[in-house]
Amino acid sequence: MTTLSTDVLVIGGGATGAGVAWDAALRGLDVVLADRGDLATGTSGRFHGLVHSGGRYAVKDPDAAKECAHENGIIRKVASACVEDTGGFFVTTPFDDPAYADRFAAGCKATGVPCEEIDPAQARLEEPRLNPGVSRAFRVPDASIDTWLLVWALAEGAREHGARVLPYHEAITINRDGDHVRGAGLRNNLTGEQVDVEARITVSASGAWAGRVAEMAGIEGVHVLPGRGIMIAMNHRLLNTVVNRCQMPTDGDIIVPIRTVSVIGTTDVHTEDPDDHTVLQNEVDAMLDDGEKLVPGFKQARALRVWTGVRPLFEDRKGGDSGSTRDVTRAHALLDHRERDGLGGFLTITGGKLTTYRLMAQDTVDAVCRQLGEDRPCTTDVRPLPGSESGEYLHINERLRRREETLQDDQLVCECELVPRSRLEDAARRRGSFDLDDMRRQLRLGMGPCQGGFCIYRATGILHGLDGIDSAEANSVLLSFLRERWKGVWPILYGDQVRQARLDDWIFQGVLDVGHLPS
Amino acid sequence: MRPSRHFDVVVIGAGVAGLTAATRLAQSGARVCVLAKGVGSTHLAPGLVDVLGYDPERVSSPSEALPSFLDAHPEHPYATIGLDGIGAALEWFGRVVDAGPHPSYRYVGDLSHNHVLPTALGAKRPSALVPETFAQGELVARRGTSSGPICVVGMRVLRDLHASLCAANLERDGVAARGVQLEVDVGRAEANSLGLARCMDDPKFRATFAAQLLPLLHADERVGLPAILGLRDPHGAWSELERRLGHAVFEIPTLPPAASGIRVYDALRAALRAAGGRLVIGASVVDVEREGDRVTAVRAHTSGHDHVYGARWVVLATGGFTSGAIELGSDWHARETALGLPLRGLPGEGEPRYGGDYFGEQPMARVGVAVDSSLLADGTSNVLVAGAALPGAEPWREGSGDGIALSSGLFAARTVLEREGATAAA
Repeated sequence: MTTLSTDVLVIGGGATGAGVAWDAALRGLDVVLADRGDLATGTSGRFHGLVHSGGRYAVKDPDAAKECAHENGIIRKVASACVEDTGGFFVTTPFDDPAYADRFAAGCKATGVPCEEIDPAQARLEEPRLNPGVSRAFRVPDASIDTWLLVWALAEGAREHGARVLPYHEAITINRDGDHVRGAGLRNNLTGEQVDVEARITVSASGAWAGRVAEMAGIEGVHVLPGRGIMIAMNHRLLNTVVNRCQMPTDGDIIVPIRTVSVIGTTDVHTEDPDDHTVLQNEVDAMLDDGEKLVPGFKQARALRVWTGVRPLFEDRKGGDSGSTRDVTRAHALLDHRERDGLGGFLTITGGKLTTYRLMAQDTVDAVCRQLGEDRPCTTDVRPLPGSESGEYLHINERLRRREETLQDDQLVCECELVPRSRLEDAARRRGSFDLDDMRRQLRLGMGPCQGGFCIYRATGILHGLDGIDSAEANSVLLSFLRERWKGVWPILYGDQVRQARLDDWIFQGVLDVGHLPS
Repeated sequence: MRPSRHFDVVVIGAGVAGLTAATRLAQSGARVCVLAKGVGSTHLAPGLVDVLGYDPERVSSPSEALPSFLDAHPEHPYATIGLDGIGAALEWFGRVVDAGPHPSYRYVGDLSHNHVLPTALGAKRPSALVPETFAQGELVARRGTSSGPICVVGMRVLRDLHASLCAANLERDGVAARGVQLEVDVGRAEANSLGLARCMDDPKFRATFAAQLLPLLHADERVGLPAILGLRDPHGAWSELERRLGHAVFEIPTLPPAASGIRVYDALRAALRAAGGRLVIGASVVDVEREGDRVTAVRAHTSGHDHVYGARWVVLATGGFTSGAIELGSDWHARETALGLPLRGLPGEGEPRYGGDYFGEQPMARVGVAVDSSLLADGTSNVLVAGAALPGAEPWREGSGDGIALSSGLFAARTVLEREGATAAA
C-alpha cells in the first residue's frame, strides 16, 4: 500500500474535478486528482460537446443563462485550443411555437446572452441543409468543445503545477477522524493496489455519483437525480454551426457539429443508476425523427454511434421524488459539509454543466481556501490552459494540415480520423496506457465511419510492439474494444452503416478470427 | 422498355457466386452476361475457400461434420445444395484456377479435412481449399504437411500484418513462432498488401526482398509472409522465394485489400471470358421488366446511359448486407435493392434485430432473399439466388463464405441447365 499526503484530494476526474485540480494547483496548493476510470469518462465524456451561449436557458432559467454567457466568453479564451468557434443558431422550424421567438429574444437581452436576429435566408445561406421552413433565426455564440482535450489539458496543467493525476483510482473509503475527513482510500482498478491519500481537504467532484461518495463519508441526503440522455453521432458535418430549435428545451432539439461528426441530442429520463446506459429503440427513433425536423434528409446520413450520459441534477432534500428531471435546476451546488453536516475537510461539488466547469471549480477552491484559512486568489479566468496560449481555436482542418506536413514520413493508423502512428506511440508511452478505449478518447482512434474496422488491429499490433503488453493483454484490449464499441453501434445500425459493420465483422471474425484466439 | 440485347442468362453481381454461375452456364453454351455495380468481395477477402470452419467448435473434417450440420440447419443454403454439390464445387473451382491466368498456380485441399492456417493475429483458422502459397502455414501436424517453427515476416511499411503479435499468439497456442521485421523501401511511409503485391510482381524487388530476409532466418523455419506474393505470377514469385531462401514459404492473410482474393477474381473472369461470357462492371441494375412471375429484362445504369438486357433467366448474386444488396432502412424495414424480392429471416415486429453482446446471437445476420429448394426466389419462376444474398447462414462465424458462394453459384447454374434441358426436351 502506498500513502500519499496532499493539501487537496479531488475525487472525480471529469471537467469539474480536473478544473478543481487545475484551479487549486494554480493557487499553489498540492493536489491529488483521482478517478475510478480514465479521465472524462463520466458525464464530461458523454455529452454532445456544446459550449452554451446561454440561449437554451434564456427563457427558462435566467440565472443559468447568465452564468453560461459569462463562462462561454472565458472558455473561448482560456481553453481556445479545445474549442471550435462554430457559432450557433436558434431557429423557429415549422414544428415550433412561433410565439417563443420573441420570448427568446427578450430572454437573451435580459440575461446578457449575445443574440442577433438574422434573416432566415442568411441562416440557410450559411447552413444550406437547414429546414427551408425556418421562419426566424437568431445568431448566438454557441461553440463546440472537444471534452477530452479539455479535461486532459486541465489535468496536464495541474500536473505542471505539481498535481498528481491518478486515473483508474477509485475511492473506496472516505477516511474520517471524528468530525473531520482526513482523505480517502483509493484502489487502483488496473492493478488492485491500495493507495491511501491523506488530505487536508477532500473534494468530491463526482457529479452524478456524488451521493454515493457522500454516503461513504457517512453523509445522507446528497440527492443527485441522474437524468439520462441519449446522443447520436452522425457521420460528417451535416452542419457547421450549432443549431438549436427555438422553443422551450426539449428532446432532440440541438445538433452540435464537433470534430468529424454532428451530434444530435438529447433526451432526459430519470434513472436511479448513474451507470445506467440503456438506449431504448423508441428514443433512437424519436431522435432521428427530430433530426429530420432540423435537417431534412438527416436519417440518410450514417449514424455512427449512440451513447448516453447522465446529468447530475442536484436537489438538496430528503425523501420524495419527482418524475421529470428536465425542470430541476441546471445550476451547480457546492456543499460545504462543515456547515451543512458538521463534517470538516469535505466538500461536494455537483450539478452544473460543462460550460460552467470553471466557475464550479472556482467556487469550490474558494471554499477550500476558506476552510484552510488561506487567501489565495483564483486565476483560471485569465490563465490559458496548456496548448491554448496562442488563443487560436481548434479548426476542423487541423488534422489534415498536420497530416500534410508528415505525409511521406508518418504512417496513418486510423484513416478516418487521420491518426498517425507516431501520435499513437507517443500517447501510449506518455500515458503508460495500452487500453484502446483510452487511446480512442485521447486520439479519436476508431471514432470515424469504420468504427475501428481497420485501425484497431493495427493499433493493437503497434501497442504490442512497444513491449508494454504481451499478446494475452493485446488480445484482451482488442476484444474489449470490440465489445464496448458494439454497445454504441447496434441500436442505431441501419443504412450504409450496416455495410460497414458487416465488413468489420468479416475483418474481425472472418479474416482475423478474433473469436478463436488462444486464451 | 425494349431490350437492346438478349441473353439466356443475366447474372447480377461479379463476386465468386455470380462469376461461378455465369462461367458454368457459359461453359455449357448459354449466352451469359454478368452485370455488376463493381467488383465483389474478392478484392477484400483473402481467397481461402472455407466450407465449414466452426460448428461451433473447430471442424477438422467438413465432409464428416456436414451431414449433421445440414440436419441441424435446414434453413442453411448447404441444406439445399447438399454434400455432393459442395464437393463438386470445390473440384470445379480447382480446375478453373488450374486453367487460369496464373501459370502453375493452384489450390490444394478438399472436403476431407480443413487446413488450419494462421491469421494476422495468430489465431488458428480452418479452411478447406487454399492456394498452394498458403498451404505450408499448416498449424495442425498431419502426415504430409509442413511442420517446424514459423518465422512471421512483417514490414514496417505494411500496417496490416503485425508479425510479432501474430507470432506471439501462435507461440501461446503451442506453435513455435517468432516475428521479424523487414525495412522495405517502397518510397512512402505506408503500403497495403495490394501495393506490395504489385512490387512482388517485379523480379528485382523479389531478389532484394529475399536477400534482405535470408540472414534473418533460422534453420528449419517456415517463412510466413503477408499475402503479397504477386498478382501476375504468384506461383513463380512463391517458388522463386522458396528457392532463394531455401525455406518453405507461405502467405498469411492481411487486412483488406487482398491480392490473393484478386487472383480468384482474375481466374474466374478469365474462365468466363474463355467460355464466351460477357462481364460489364459499372452497371447497376435500376429496374426490371416482368411478365407474370417471370423477369424478362433488366435495365442497368452505366456511365453513359441505360441499357436493357433481355433475359430468359436471372441469377441474383449481389451479396447480402455487406455489399448493399440488402438494405436496412432507418425505418427498420429491410429490402432487397436490385429486384425488390421478398426476404426471409427478418426478426418480427418487436423482436430484437441485433443482440447487445458482440459475440452473441445476431438475428439480422441470417436474413437473405427467400428462396425455394431450387434456390428460386419466392414469387418468381426464373430468378435464382446465389451467394451471400441467400438466407440462413452466418458465414464469417461459420467459416463458410466462399464455400456457399461457389456451391450455390454452381447449383443455380445447374438449375437453369436442368430446366432449360427440360424445356428443350419438351
